[in-house]
Amino acid sequence: MSIMELNGGSCVAMVGKGCVAIACDLRLGNQALTIACNHEKVFAATERTYYGLPGLASDTITVRDKLRQRVNLYAMKEERTIEPETFAHLVSSTLYERRFGPYFIEPVIAGINVKDEPFIAAMDLIGCLNFAKDFVVSGTASEKLFGMAESLWEPDLEAEDLFETISQTLLNAVDRDAYSGWGAVVWVIEKDKVTKRWLKARMD
Amino acid sequence: MEVSFGITGKDFVLFASDTSAARSIVRMKSNEDKQKVIGKHLVMAYSGEPGDTVQFAEYVERNLRLYQIRNHLPLRPSSAASWTRNQLATSLRSRKPYSVNLLLGGFDPTNTTPELYWIDYLGTLGVVPYAAHGYGAYFALSTMDRWHKPDMNLEEGLDLLRKCVDELEKRFIVNLGEFTVRVADKDGVRQVNLKSGEAVVPV
Amino acid sequence: MTSQGAKLSNYTGAPQQRSFNPYSDNGGTILAISSENFAIVAADTRQSEGYSIQTRYAKKCYQLTDEVVMAVVGFQADGTALAKRVKQRLEWYYHTHSEVPSLASIARMVQTMLYGKRFFPYYAHVILGGIDRDGTGAVYSFDPVGSYERESCRAAGAAQSLVQPFLDNMVYSKNQTADPSVAPLPKGERPVLPMETVLSLVIDAFTGATERHIEVGDGLQIWTIVKGEGAKLRELPLKRD
Repeated sequence: MSIMELNGGSCVAMVGKGCVAIACDLRLGNQALTIACNHEKVFAATERTYYGLPGLASDTITVRDKLRQRVNLYAMKEERTIEPETFAHLVSSTLYERRFGPYFIEPVIAGINVKDEPFIAAMDLIGCLNFAKDFVVSGTASEKLFGMAESLWEPDLEAEDLFETISQTLLNAVDRDAYSGWGAVVWVIEKDKVTKRWLKARMD
Repeated sequence: MEVSFGITGKDFVLFASDTSAARSIVRMKSNEDKQKVIGKHLVMAYSGEPGDTVQFAEYVERNLRLYQIRNHLPLRPSSAASWTRNQLATSLRSRKPYSVNLLLGGFDPTNTTPELYWIDYLGTLGVVPYAAHGYGAYFALSTMDRWHKPDMNLEEGLDLLRKCVDELEKRFIVNLGEFTVRVADKDGVRQVNLKSGEAVVPV
Repeated sequence: MTSQGAKLSNYTGAPQQRSFNPYSDNGGTILAISSENFAIVAADTRQSEGYSIQTRYAKKCYQLTDEVVMAVVGFQADGTALAKRVKQRLEWYYHTHSEVPSLASIARMVQTMLYGKRFFPYYAHVILGGIDRDGTGAVYSFDPVGSYERESCRAAGAAQSLVQPFLDNMVYSKNQTADPSVAPLPKGERPVLPMETVLSLVIDAFTGATERHIEVGDGLQIWTIVKGEGAKLRELPLKRD
């Protein structure tokens, strides 16, 4: 019984041309038993920075609340909204604070910075950052997500094509994972628009 | 071996808990009330490590009461669930964590919706239309998946609850005895008899 | 200070335990896809143990008959031993009956051979690809103790979890809604994939797996088995890092 796999769930983020996308499944489970299928794992940090926290569901909520507090404190002290790059480091140091008793989550981050450049990042449960240029994955279906994303993703996808790519990546990956699935949510972030879509998925 | 259920309907939330207080293989008591009324429209069904359960339930009850006295306003169900979850999540990384699982919910008069929260000892919080804790979950969740409808009235809700309890009596090897059932709706919280559906008058 | 040979534990009468692990995992990935009149069986050529590459050119595919190819991954020694014995059984069969068994019959034989070692199994995942009795392309996949099934595509081995969802998506068209302007196919039937499409799927699957899995790479062997034309092998390079 692994703590990281107790509740199940997966996230993925991808870079497009002037846009980014981030998606998660909706399952909340207790080992093999599904408790709920409305459990979103992706949250907004700012208007154009989003992050997903798959892993232990309790820590998903705890860290989400903690990050909300820290992002608000940053906004008040600096009198500006936090950049996705800075936010990634904020998440990383928040996790590293608990180096020897970690929060059991592996975050993915997606956003568009002040120069309208797309940005994604991921990290492990103690905050080791990974700034990928293409896509990042996390959660119980991460291996399957790697296989899907590696073969579907291509550079400079427009927002609509990026949405299709990330949706197919997530759906086909979670369909082969018993701990993920039961619905999915996809966010596409463009420089002046954010779209949230619920995907119709297999419910088994 | 404890079991608790929660079901939301159109304008109410139903809670059911078994009444056995067991120690090892012995039933020490068969009329234990494992629920607490923690607000005018709020109920909490608790299960877990004996000792921790009552201790934690009373801690939640007194803190919610204190909030109400200080602010002249009760916490709404979502806020009460969030606060309670936080206590469990904090406790989890302490020297001696509380080992308590909860179903918390009630009727929110401000937006007139029934709300139900599934919370476990790790501090996991799920917002759900129906839920179960303990071995009952393995038997009753599929029954609830099949029969639950969001706009059920109280009689239909009790019928679904009876289906779940019947399933336990038929397939679960342990006899759990009677069930305590409470309803939270716009009028407040009242205990009902599962068989007759009539209100139970406190002695 | 006690010397090496005079440890206290040697004199306490405590039982000494020794163990020998007869299995190893040599990585690698195999894959097979079938269509209307052909089948493709493919495998990478890396063979590894832990973080070490033992060879960059190990064959995992074996041609059994004119129209049947077998691919094996898992423990290399068990894989080759199994392939050798299957080939031997087929030769005996040919000598007694003067004919070559069909793919379905070979599949059943592989099951009995695998299950015959139920309590000391071949640590090998087997996929058979070829042309079946009815003249259609077919794929049979096995677990190490002989459970098997006819399918139209299957991946196995180290990168199974990377490749299989991709095949679900591209071969079975999972999570893809049909074009409403095109008349739907009869129930149970799926679109016939042409050879070029399947070949590019196989190459995409393996380049993707090579990119993200350390036990996959070096080279790619693709066997194409076309009805009436027999089996043909082609080789392509994969990344060697």
